[in-house]
Amino acid sequence: MGNEVKFMIGRIYFAIFGLVVLGIGILEILLGLTGRSFEWGIMEMSGEFLLWRGLILFFAGAFYLSSIKNFTDIHQLAKVVMGSVMIWIIAGVKIFSMILESIPGEEGWLNTFEGFLESYSAPYIPSLFLLPFSLVVLYYIRLSGEMSKGGGDER
Amino acid sequence: MKLTVDERWDLIDKITKQVVKYGEYKYTLKDAIAELTVKPLTGIPIAIAVLYGFWAFFGAFAGFFTDGFFVKLFDNHWLPWLQGVFPGKGGWLYYIFVGDPKADNCFEAFGVLTSGLFVAIGVVLPAIIAFYLFLIILEDSGYLPRLAVLIDTVLHKIGLHGFAVVPMILSLGCNVPAVVATRTLETKKQRFMMATLLAIFIPCGAQLGIMLEVIPEYVGLVMIYLLAGFFIFGFILNKLIPGRSPEILLDIPPYQMPIARNVRRKLWARVKSFFTVAVPFVLLGVVIVNIMYLTGFLDWLANLLEPILCGWFGVPKETVGPLIAAFLRKDLAVAQLSAIEMTTYQLVTSVVLVSLYFPCVATFAMLIKEGREEGLKGVLQYLFGSLLALITVVFLWGGLVHLIWIILGVA
Amino acid sequence: MGNPNVGKSAIFNRLAGAKVMESNYPGTTVDYTKGYMRLENKDIEIIDVPGTFSLEPKDKAEEVAVKMLKENKDAVIICVIDSTKLERGLYLALEIIEEGYPVIIALNMWDIAKDKNIWINIEKLENILGVPVVATVAVSGEGIKELVSKIKEASPANIERIVERAGGLEK
Repeated sequence: MGNEVKFMIGRIYFAIFGLVVLGIGILEILLGLTGRSFEWGIMEMSGEFLLWRGLILFFAGAFYLSSIKNFTDIHQLAKVVMGSVMIWIIAGVKIFSMILESIPGEEGWLNTFEGFLESYSAPYIPSLFLLPFSLVVLYYIRLSGEMSKGGGDER
Repeated sequence: MKLTVDERWDLIDKITKQVVKYGEYKYTLKDAIAELTVKPLTGIPIAIAVLYGFWAFFGAFAGFFTDGFFVKLFDNHWLPWLQGVFPGKGGWLYYIFVGDPKADNCFEAFGVLTSGLFVAIGVVLPAIIAFYLFLIILEDSGYLPRLAVLIDTVLHKIGLHGFAVVPMILSLGCNVPAVVATRTLETKKQRFMMATLLAIFIPCGAQLGIMLEVIPEYVGLVMIYLLAGFFIFGFILNKLIPGRSPEILLDIPPYQMPIARNVRRKLWARVKSFFTVAVPFVLLGVVIVNIMYLTGFLDWLANLLEPILCGWFGVPKETVGPLIAAFLRKDLAVAQLSAIEMTTYQLVTSVVLVSLYFPCVATFAMLIKEGREEGLKGVLQYLFGSLLALITVVFLWGGLVHLIWIILGVA
Repeated sequence: MGNPNVGKSAIFNRLAGAKVMESNYPGTTVDYTKGYMRLENKDIEIIDVPGTFSLEPKDKAEEVAVKMLKENKDAVIICVIDSTKLERGLYLALEIIEEGYPVIIALNMWDIAKDKNIWINIEKLENILGVPVVATVAVSGEGIKELVSKIKEASPANIERIVERAGGLEK
């Protein structure tokens, strides 16, 4: 498969993904502004700083969508990277705090085993679901790196 | 032989032409990202995400240690044990060291070995570790200077020029090095202005840390008041003080991976100085406030200042104790404030007041030292200038905050 | 000595094993720091100074740097230059050479220059300037050993000869 095809796929992928991220962002902003929360299966939109998380996802989605024009350009790829980094920040600190919250107990020093498992159970915030899909950008960073290196050798 | 400036540049031109070969300049992803982080349109969203990460990381980290372990250790084990074994219950020595014999948590006991130790070790220590860890990583990665440039750009857009953003951001760590960093500013006016503004308005890491810990829901509000004050009074000072404030040019370093060794070393230096410099002051602060309370001086002072505190600032007169502790350590003062019963708005106002009304001892000493670099006249100028600015600011801004509450109908 | 944020403190820490704050931030060092390093079984005092662009100081941190230079007439100067910004680093280096100090040049941040595809011919630069030149990466320690081994080769250079070797000045 040629690189052009790969980038075409990436473009479509991030266009769709960007729309999803943007949509979730808008939803979270609305919920945050009205002070409500929303739960859907194993996904929840609630908790502290909901408005801020929504805002960040909104921008991340906007970064993705603005990058689909001239997708192969390094500036555009940088936007995709930063959009993904923003999702990683939200998801990363969430995972970090889940781990830390699971260790100490309510009364005793350490949590009970049930309590420990309990803290990892659903529902999760949207960013945790978005995280694996945003990792695709790593592939494109590598691809772009290889291409520029390949171009250099032909000199 | 000495060359003239032009000859020197000419020579450099000759040399570099012979020794430097520029390869094809490749615009890398790093460059593109660097550009995105300083352009306001894309930089501000990124800055929001980074600050959110900071905030959430901090909450998780400090919460883990303080609520998860230290609160249990101090309230369930240390306090009952100490209350049992410390001799002379009800005596003044007992009061100073253990505090209120009926207290069931270390926040409200007010003793040196209870509240003092708990605030220093249990609350502020985890807070500053979390705070500095994140700050150092941001600093070493090269993001912080970019944030400075971003803020500078935005400030220029709204017509605020000549603010030294680097010392301002450094100041979030600790006001002392930030005051020292004003040395890189070109004119005396700028140095004085920035040193004073920093010392008054920008809270330090320890204070921010404890605010995030005990009153997390109001930190945003407190920061808005402080930053608004910073820029408004900065604008006024800029007009009042004679002299020039030239533009500040900032070199942006490249993005790079923070090196674990360097991060570890810097974090350790911070923690060490916390133990040697901050902890003794926290304990001393508790001792002084307790002695003042025992001798009745505190009550006398509270009654004396009541018209000002209640009338002008709209905060309860009990805040006099924390205000005295704030001379030594702001973090201690915030902790003590949070144990006093008052409304949300009084709490926000009093925290703003504590931040404003006097720089901590260490910063104050550094201000004087900076003034001394410019001779005795310099010392007096720094001292009186800062104090004058300080008193004006405290009264105007503190009163204004109160007025805003009154207008909003909540005070 | 060197321009701001070229890694003077990082090199100093490497040499003296000291713990000066180093940051990826211009203007971290605003005062001088003294330390000691061992060279051929002797303890030698080394001084870390704030960054400056020239010997005509513009602010108080730069004043400190210039004052330290003037106070230590018999010092060997390690001139730290950001390899990606050779020109402005050389400006300061030339000024110091003209003052008659023995100089050794550390081309720091060599790795970043390599990434940016900037190649500096070290031998040629050495030949023109007549002082030792070493490529270093202070944060990882690359080139520091070579820097130490060449400190004793540092010697005052004659600016007229440099001009000659560079091909003369335009009049």
